Amino acid sequence: MADCSVDLAPRNPRELRLANPVIAASGCFGYGLEYAGLIDVQRLGAFVSKGITPEHRSGNPMPRITETAGGMLNAIGLQNPGIKGFLKKYPPVWEGWRVPAIVNISAERVADFAMMARLLDETPGIAGIEVNISCPNVAAGGYCFGWDAAMSAEVTRAVRQATTLPVIVKLSPGAIDIAGVALAVEAAGADAVSLINTLVGMAIDIRRRRPILANETGGLSGPAIKPVALRMVYQVAAVVDIPVIGLGGIMGVEDAIEFFMAGASAIQVGTMIFPQPTRLMTLIDGIDAWLDEAGFQDLSGIIGLANAGMLARRTAPAVAAAG
Amino acid sequence: MAAVREFESEIVAKRSVMDDAHLVDLSAPSGLVAAMRPGQFVEVLCRVDGSYDPLLRRPYSLYATDPANDRFTLLVRPYGRGSEWLGQQRPGATLDILGPLGNAFEIRPKSRHLLMVAGGVGAAPLVMLSQRAVARGVAVTYLMGAMDAGSLLPASALPAAVEYLVATEDGSQGHRGYVTELVADYIQWADQIYSCGPEPMFRSLRQVVRQHRVTREPRVWVSVERTMACGLGACLGCVVETRRGMRTSCVDGPVFEMDDLLW
Repeated sequence: MADCSVDLAPRNPRELRLANPVIAASGCFGYGLEYAGLIDVQRLGAFVSKGITPEHRSGNPMPRITETAGGMLNAIGLQNPGIKGFLKKYPPVWEGWRVPAIVNISAERVADFAMMARLLDETPGIAGIEVNISCPNVAAGGYCFGWDAAMSAEVTRAVRQATTLPVIVKLSPGAIDIAGVALAVEAAGADAVSLINTLVGMAIDIRRRRPILANETGGLSGPAIKPVALRMVYQVAAVVDIPVIGLGGIMGVEDAIEFFMAGASAIQVGTMIFPQPTRLMTLIDGIDAWLDEAGFQDLSGIIGLANAGMLARRTAPAVAAAG
Repeated sequence: MAAVREFESEIVAKRSVMDDAHLVDLSAPSGLVAAMRPGQFVEVLCRVDGSYDPLLRRPYSLYATDPANDRFTLLVRPYGRGSEWLGQQRPGATLDILGPLGNAFEIRPKSRHLLMVAGGVGAAPLVMLSQRAVARGVAVTYLMGAMDAGSLLPASALPAAVEYLVATEDGSQGHRGYVTELVADYIQWADQIYSCGPEPMFRSLRQVVRQHRVTREPRVWVSVERTMACGLGACLGCVVETRRGMRTSCVDGPVFEMDDLLW
């Protein structure tokens, strides 16, 4: 048995300690309860809730999802009960759970991110916050927060000031300079970054001559996006000191190992859960078995192994070891 | 809700039906079939290990169950990549199945006469429901519509006690036209109406019912079909808009009362 435990908030006294590096991703695991009858949710490293917004949202019209080659597009539209409804319903259940529950928050105004973070800070049953910066910024004419380093940092700073909970900032692959955004949110107080969110895409019904999704565009996820996700994790892990959580198209153990070698300290699994939920469990065991077989005592032994930039920084004496 | 399982299932037998479709008999873990109810569905992974195409599972309504032998049956018609793959699998092949999922058609204790309105492969859950109803001594009339005679379910698929009437668009068997044109005669007779099929059929069903129904009775229950991902109410990709708000067709449905649906 290799030691697969990991602290995703080493800078934060409150810590975000996971028994293993497998996290169920936001939007793909509901609020955890949906899967409680099917798998042992408590065995997960952690799970991230569906995205919560300041107010209740009914989401987008149908169709909301469509399958693509090696992936799927979704435009759910953040259907959720809003922060107040959410707080009443889910954290009281999670309080009795062993698995760390991370809450994903989305907003279109910086002050709303801070408001939600403040409410979560006082709530038992929550292990951390994941900040979704792939939302339009109303104050910037709808330009996505996550595409811009300064705007991403502004959201991070506001959340940081509102809570002492571990804060993970979920980066958008739409950013032109993803490493620059990562450095900016690190400087603004993020405990960790997770990447990547979905890529914006679309599909057209040629018979009806219009986009398949009612929202026209949607987020592309699944194995099709893995190479892009891996490249971005690699670039970010080479420059930041905080833990990097890798996600995007992970379908099995070898995919996960690739992300670790690119520099991820933990992984999130999203789209895979839809068709193969019990694989979450085999993934946890499989990573452990792979490390054993390859002769590693612990997970940290492979983090960044394939990332020359990260290794170079790690051996530099002035820089604390990441992961 | 009965426990949902992701399980390995063997194709035990397979036979042709409705021209290009198949009835596929599948094995299940001990005891699971007994919990399966008419209207519920399973999601089948329609690909081999190591392939991601098609990525998502495909939902199939239960056609029949055999709890004594831990078996259940699906009606598979090849009209997409998933069902084409599944239709090609032979007895002995192993499938990865998630289920049973969703809510069910309920037969109210006082119901004596049930009307089924089926369109195409929508016939499947209504066959299982008819079997349960007949076993309880409830009278069933089963109306089925299809393009042509070959696409109809054979009468032998239903219990002998069921009155089976058909409609074909080309007139090759039964009433020439749509199945919903047969419904009016049964509205006063039926205590409840159950339907599964394409959405245009639901729309004409709603029209007929509105024209002939005096009170809120008989209630009409429809099984809706949506593109689905998780099947467990987590992704919110398959919602339907109801008078009670957005509901998932995988957990809150697939069976809804027609009057509750906003479409």
